[in-house]
Order: sequence, then C-alpha cells, then structure tokens
Amino acid sequence: MGSELLIRSYNVGCGDCFYVCIPDEGDGFHMLIDCGSKESARSGVMERSIRHLADEVLPATGDGKKRLDLIVVTHRHEDHIKGFDPRFFHDIAIGHIWLPAAMNKDHPQAAQSVALHGLAETEMRRLAESGAALSPELQDLVGLYGIRNAGAVEALTETLPEKNGIETRYVHAGMRSDALGITIPDTVIHVLGPEEDVDFFYLGKELDDRLRGFQAGPAGATGRTAPQAAEELPTNITGADFRTLQSRLLSNALAFAVDDSSIQNNVSTVLLIEWKGKRLLFVGDAEWDEGFKPGRKNSAWNVMWEKRRDLLGAPIDFLKVGHHGSHNATPWNRHADDDHEVNQIFDAILPRPAEGHSPTARCLVSTKRKQYDTIPDAELLAELGKRSTGTKRYLSELKAADAAFDPHDGVFNYSVMKTYSKPPSPRQVGDHGFLDEPQPRRTDLESAARGASDLSGPAEFVDVLLEA
Amino acid sequence: MSRRRPTKSTRLRLYSAARHLDLKTCIELGLLFPLDVYIQDPLVAENDPKFGFDDGFHVRWEPGIGDGPTSARFAVVDYEGDTGELIPKAVWDADACRFVGLDGKVLDRDNKETWQFHQVNVWALLQNALAFFEGGQGLGRPIPFGFEGNRLIVVPHAGYGRNAFYDRESKSLQFYYFQDDDGRMVYTCQSADIVNHEFGHAVLDGIRPYFFESVLVETAAFHELVGDLTAILILLRNNRFRGAIAEATDGDMAAAEALTHIAEQFGQAVEGNPYLRTALNTYKMSDMADEEGPHRMSEVLTGAMFDILQSLSTFYIEKRGRSPKQGFWDAIQRMHRMAVQPLDLLPPVDATFKDYALAVLRAEQLANPTDPHGFRDLMAGCFGAREILSPEEVEALSEPGYLYDRPTLTVLHDVEDIAHSRAAAYRFLDDNRDRLLIPHSQDVQVADLYTADKLTRQGARLPRQIILQYLWREDVRLEGEQFGDYEGEWTSLLCGGTLVFDDCANLLWWTRKPGTEGGDGKAWKEERAAGEERKGQFLAVLARRIQSGRVGAPLGSSRGLLGSSMPPLTVQKTDGRLRFALAPHLNLCGDVNDDFQGGPGWEVSS
Repeated sequence: MGSELLIRSYNVGCGDCFYVCIPDEGDGFHMLIDCGSKESARSGVMERSIRHLADEVLPATGDGKKRLDLIVVTHRHEDHIKGFDPRFFHDIAIGHIWLPAAMNKDHPQAAQSVALHGLAETEMRRLAESGAALSPELQDLVGLYGIRNAGAVEALTETLPEKNGIETRYVHAGMRSDALGITIPDTVIHVLGPEEDVDFFYLGKELDDRLRGFQAGPAGATGRTAPQAAEELPTNITGADFRTLQSRLLSNALAFAVDDSSIQNNVSTVLLIEWKGKRLLFVGDAEWDEGFKPGRKNSAWNVMWEKRRDLLGAPIDFLKVGHHGSHNATPWNRHADDDHEVNQIFDAILPRPAEGHSPTARCLVSTKRKQYDTIPDAELLAELGKRSTGTKRYLSELKAADAAFDPHDGVFNYSVMKTYSKPPSPRQVGDHGFLDEPQPRRTDLESAARGASDLSGPAEFVDVLLEA
Repeated sequence: MSRRRPTKSTRLRLYSAARHLDLKTCIELGLLFPLDVYIQDPLVAENDPKFGFDDGFHVRWEPGIGDGPTSARFAVVDYEGDTGELIPKAVWDADACRFVGLDGKVLDRDNKETWQFHQVNVWALLQNALAFFEGGQGLGRPIPFGFEGNRLIVVPHAGYGRNAFYDRESKSLQFYYFQDDDGRMVYTCQSADIVNHEFGHAVLDGIRPYFFESVLVETAAFHELVGDLTAILILLRNNRFRGAIAEATDGDMAAAEALTHIAEQFGQAVEGNPYLRTALNTYKMSDMADEEGPHRMSEVLTGAMFDILQSLSTFYIEKRGRSPKQGFWDAIQRMHRMAVQPLDLLPPVDATFKDYALAVLRAEQLANPTDPHGFRDLMAGCFGAREILSPEEVEALSEPGYLYDRPTLTVLHDVEDIAHSRAAAYRFLDDNRDRLLIPHSQDVQVADLYTADKLTRQGARLPRQIILQYLWREDVRLEGEQFGDYEGEWTSLLCGGTLVFDDCANLLWWTRKPGTEGGDGKAWKEERAAGEERKGQFLAVLARRIQSGRVGAPLGSSRGLLGSSMPPLTVQKTDGRLRFALAPHLNLCGDVNDDFQGGPGWEVSS
C-alpha cells in the first residue's frame, strides 16, 4: 500500500461516483461516495464503473469477495444513487452504509421533509404517467422521481444491509467516524451536514406551513391528487377551454417538487476527512444562497457556516466540487460585496494564494458538458482554477483529440462577448470562452481529451493523489 | 300578504324593460332577486356580526342563469386543481329564483360552509361588480372581455395557495385557498375585496386590451390601481361599512387612525391585501423613480384618488352641512363616477398615471362644466401634490376655456356613420390621417368602437358618447447587447389614440400615443418628437427589464404552471415580432412578480 491518498472520480456522465482509498499499514480503507448518473440504465456506465472498482481496485476478502469498507450516499437524487443496484455489488462485501438523516423516514426531525418528498414523488410520477406535456426544463424535474430511484433506496436501506449483515446508519452533522464504529489510523471523518433537525434548518416555516395547509385541504384529506385517470368535463364551458384552464392553474405538485429537489441537495451528507493534517471536503450537491436565517428554508453551505464553522472555516486540501460544477453549489465570489457570507466561505476554504505563492489545494469535478445549460458554470471553474493546483487548460487537448472539436457546438452561449450591467447568468456565459483557462480536472473533458467520445467504452476515471 | 311571482313569460317581457325601472320596482317585480353574500369575508363576519351578510344584496335576474352558477358573462367552474376534481355545481331553481345545493337546500347563510355556497357567493359578487362598471354611474355600456369569448370562467377553489388572479390566457379568475396562522382555511373566493380587485383587472383588460402588451411598469401599476379602486369603491358603497366609517371618523376621512383600524380589521383574513391601508399614504411619483413593482407604484395614484375622496367628503360635510354618513355617501357616489367614467378616455396603449389624471379631470369637466364648487381645482391639486401632474399642468388646467371644439378635419364624416361600424370608423381615420397625425405608412386599425350612455351623479343623462380607439404597430428592432437573448429581434412600439365624440359630433376628448413616423409641418414635427421620446422610454425600460431577468416564459405543463417561474413580462413571437405581455399578478402577500429577479433564480436542483 502506498502512502498517498487516492480520490478517483469515475466518469459516469452527469453524476457522482467517487472512490476514496485512505492508505494504512494494511490494504487501506476503501470508501465509495455516491454511485449515480443521469445516463440511462441501458448505457451500462454504472455497472462498468462498479465492476472496474471491484475487479481492479478493491482488495479481496479471502472468501471470493472484494471489500468495500464504507458506502456514503450524499442524497437521493438519481445522479447520486441510481447505480446502487444489488446486482452490481453481488461480490462486494460492504462494511458500512451511511445515508443522510433526511432519508430516514422515521427521523422525527425530518418528518415534514420526508412527507414533502413523498408528495413530490407521488405527484411527479402521476404527472409522468399521465403523459402531460411539459416544458423541457420540467422534464428534468419529473425525471428526478423515476422508479429506479426507489429501487436504489430499497437496495441501500434493505437489500444491501441484509446481505452484508449490517445496518444502514443515518448520519447528521456532529457525528464522526470513530463514534460510528469506524477506526482509520490518522484519520477522522467528520459529518458536517445535514443538521439533525432537518425540518428546521432546510424546510423552514413557510414551506412547512404551506405543506401542512395543503395536507389539511382536500388533496391531503382524500389522498386524491391530480391528474385523474378519467376526467369529467364541465358542462358550462368547452373542453378546449377546460384544457387551457387546467394548464394555467398554479400547480402545487410542481412547486413542491421544485422545493423538494433543492432540499434534497441541501440535505446532502457533507464529509470533512481529516487525514494526516490534510483536509478533504466532499459536499455532494450542497447549495448556498443569500445567508442563514433561523426558521427559513436554508441552504446547506449557509447552515454549515452558521453551525460548523469551527471545522469548515479553514483552508482545505481537496474539494469535491459540488453539483457537477453548478453556480450555486460552491460558495464563490460572484458577489460584488467582499464581506458577503458566501465570499467569506470561499476565501476561508480556498483562499487565493498570496502574491508569489502557488495554490496547493486540489479540486475535482464530476460533470458532463451540455447536460444542462447552466452546468458546469465556466466562470466558477475558472475561478477554482486560480485557487487550486493540478489544473488544466483543456482546449488544446480537446483539439488534439478531435480535429473537428468546436467549443461553440451545442453550448448555450449567446453573449460571452458582451458587457453586462450585472454579472451574466451561467446560461448567458456558456464555457467556450473558458476552455483555455486553467480549471480543475473534470471527468467529461478528461475522457474527451483521451478520445473517448461517449461512455460506451471501458470505465473512465480521473484520479487525484494526495501526499501526507 | 304574499306577492304573486310573475310568470316566466311576464318576467321576460319585464326584463327587456328593466333598464327603465328603478331599483325598488325591479325588486318588487323579481327582476332583482336577493342572495346571501358576505359584506367582506367570513373572518370579518366572525369578528363583528354586523359586518356579516349583506342583507340588501340583490342580483339582477337574466334569462340565461343556470347551474354553476352560469350567466351571460360568468361561468363558475369549480375545478380543484390539486385533486383534479370537478366540484358539483350549485343548481339553479328557475321557478323559485334561487340556487340550491347538493341536498336540495337553498344556498343561503345556513349553508355557508358548503363549496356550493362559495360558488354562488363569488358569482353574486361578480354580477354586482359588473353592474358597478356597466351602469350609468360607471361606463354606461356593456363591457367586453379582453379574450375571445364573453364568459369569464370563475374558479372558486382552484387549489391550495395564497393566491388569486385574473388570467387572460385561460379566460379565468382563479381563486385559491390557504390555511391561516390560526389553522383556519381562508377561501379567497369568499373575500369581496379580492374578488372585486381581480375583476377590476378583467374589466380593464376588456376595455383596454393593449395595456397588457405594455412593458411600462406604470401601465402595470395602473392595472393594479383599477383593481384596488374597484375593491375600495365597492366596499365603500356598502351602507353598513360606510356607516361604520362615518361613525368611527366622525366624517373626517383624514382621521387616518380610525380608518386604518377598520381597514386592518377588514384586511385580517387576507393579509397583504390591505386596499384601504395602501390608500392612506403620502407617496409621490419621485418616490417611485426606480420602482419595478407595479403594486407599490400604484399606491401613488391610489393615494391621490383617496385624497380626492377625503376632500369631497369634507366638502359635503363641512360646506354642505351633510351628516357624516350622508356626506360620505355623496362623496362615494361622486367618486364612483369620477373614477370609473374616465376609463373610457384613456389612450388605447401604455396608459400612465398622468393620462388617467387628465382623463379624470376631463370627465369631471364634461359632467360638471360650470363647476361651482371648484371640484376640478381640488382634484388637480391632489394630482399635483403627488407629482402626477406638474405645477405648470395644474395651473394650465385652471385656465378658463371652451368646453369643447369641433375637430378640424380634412374630410367630414357623420358621427353616426363613424359609430356605425369599425370599417366606417377606419375610413374616417384614413381620410383624416394628416389632421389626426396618423402616419400614412402605417396600417392603422380600429382597436375598439362603442357608444356609451353615462349619467351624472344626480342620474341625469350625459350626451351619448362615441368612443373610437385606434392603433398601429411601429416596427422596432432591438439592437444592442442590452437586449440580451432578444438582441436582433423585431418588436412593436404600439401607437394610437382615443377619440371621443358626443352625438352632435363635438370632439369631447382626444388623447394620443404617437410614433416616430409622419409628415412635415409643425404638428407632425412635435408629434414625431413625442414619438421619439416614447420609443426611447420603451427601449430603455425594456432593456432594464430584460437585464434584470423580468422577461421570459413561465414553466408549466398541460396540468398547471410553476408559479415561481412566472416573470412579470412574458414574451411570444407573433408574425415574426416579439409581443410582450403582463403576466398574471400572482400572490396576495408580497409581490412575487414584482420582486422576481430572474436569472438563475429557478432551475432544477437535480
């Protein structure tokens, strides 16, 4: 076993599948943080990644299996859990499984968040089954609640624990690995999020009230929610007018699903791994917003800054860039106000090096260009490139791998050459103007630079090695 | 002694003559029938039973009333969007002239908890509000709606939420319900304030449909003003409420504390919708220079109108020796006419507060030409104090002048011919383009044409008015990065005017929104200069709103919209040109649209 800590990000398209090996005097401590993708099941990308991990990486247990010491699930979105198919793990002995407290349906302080998720899941599935026409952006929203996700949750909470004779642990901020029965030499894994009182910190009173009110109304009382299979038509207006009316009512189902989807990101399991003086931060899809306020629907980074600053508020050596490089999952200096909470967090964990010094922290991004028009945020990655080492300028590599590579192709960028009175949105920026800027290693462009035009070939991954 | 009901055929014959009959006779003949309707809403009724049900509330009978309720102008469709359930309708008992519920019982205060009672309550409020606008003290004519069709769809229980709004696209008024802090379910369809406010939007959209295409915050704010004024004036017409205010303030409308107290009591059930409270303010136009929120901006004009009401009330009580209650009633009656009748004098596009102020003053002059008590000066002073009119404009208005002129025209047309059809009105416009400053290059269209029979406060008839609105679309290209994603697209600067004649062909009013094209000569030059100014303002406001992310399209499905994605201005392409449109003004508590920041405010957190 070498002395370096390995962080490997499998290229699963838009999704996360991070393997971490912490060296010790034996064959190391092996953990998998998330295993999901927006790719279809038929693509086989998840299975190939897990098989690669099992066949090529994990140590043998001696009874014909491979050993995976810890699985950590950050949150329940498909791009983080869809790959937890028991078939992929049939020969892997799992030591521990951690899920965020927000996924515990019996957790009293997450009761309303769980109810919200259940409601959103039911409604979005019904919407999908109804064949209703949807704005393109909403197709992604509905897709979050696919049936495969429920299967993955079942695998993580029932099938895999039973098969391995373990119990799933629901973790929350304040917990640490030793108290959770895991001892790793020179290492402590701190849980920084979510807070135990999930409903208070991440749901907030307004949404809690709205949910309770909704539940007290006929939809909650009858359990009958739209759309119905067979619809009665009113007799005093035409069918066409009625259909237009239906499309113009405000949809609580969509509103709750949007709320739930952001809450799920914000209840991500956030880990700070302290290893021989190094600090590694894995943040799932934790988001930030304007600032913490008690009783409101808060974002994860703001809650951590409020409650866990003692652990969070110092330079880190590694950052798993949140939410595939989205603009609102890494607190960064988009605010003109230097004193803004978000800027303070950024400067605390990834300070810009002083004049004449080079940054030492490393970042890694699991992402897929063109999956969304706002992900990854090119400006963010360029800023991270100024605050981290091990960065790359991808443009020349991409052109070398594909002579026809066109940085403009398919990117939602109409206005990068323009000036704005305020910072342009990620949608306006795109990334073609930033491909020659130093940026952290990212799964999509690493594969593309190697000539892997899609994910149909052997497992692709990006490694970061940290020395003690 | 029981009165015999007229037979169906007798009632029909009486109905055709109803407009010639007074209120009392109509009630006696069954042409007006009583209904139990909340004066305000259930919470107010609970807090103070004397403000419970409006005992004198009657709805005008019409032959087409049916289940729903359904009538000539309204179709109540009680579709609950959350459950996808169509709630059973209130049933019309034509013989008994009343609505009954599922159990066959009359839908009156004894069945107030049923959703069928809610259906009847909201329908009755709307019938009343329609009469408020259509009557002689109002616009004196039937009012069209701003959509294709003549029945406004009313959804009393559209779903859960603190919301109620008018939506032109679905031809509907949608009322939602929510649980308040005390755990009570509040049905917005039960609140007279909310129902009347939202109907005010529908009315204004009907009589000035192109206001919806305006990008100006001030025009959106004007829409809010009409909603608020509708709510306030209809509430103040209620005898009990007016009596309570007169008593609490001893007739002094400026006794803000007492009025605010009552207003707050009346605003409890629908916090954030404090029509009366927002009327009591001291805002001026200069306070709203950078305001993006239509509702906040509207408070300047609401405040000015309330100032006028206060002054009128004071006048009647102090100068005319009326009792507080009677003086207040006189002021309200005058205010009804003074606030609603000028709507016909507005330009067809891009109305500003100043346009309305000038229309109000002109309508007052037409109804009260000699103005022995100086009402016009009083009103102009109120608008001036709010900076809606400049000091110079206020002064100019006090100059003596002729009541009206005959227009100088190139080709004379008989005013009856003009009023005959839109095509005839077009020929009049086309024959007189130079005099009417309509560019020859533009395909001018008649936006609306109608006649109106308005009354003075005492019920005297004013000369019949012929109102002609015309407009054209001047092409404008959005050039420059300030237009973001819309750079390079074509859109329209809406231009046009409103001409009002009396039946003797006197020109009562002419207001215009010029474009940048036209001929030579002094009048044209001034017109084009004003058009250039309009165009500059249009482009500047549009760029500002695009840059602040306030223009776009809401996200939705065939099963409903995502409310949080609704920008203040929506956009769609028609005939190769962008058309902007005011989005429904969502929410009762705070201004979601007003504060909409756009940009990355919404995206799927996957």
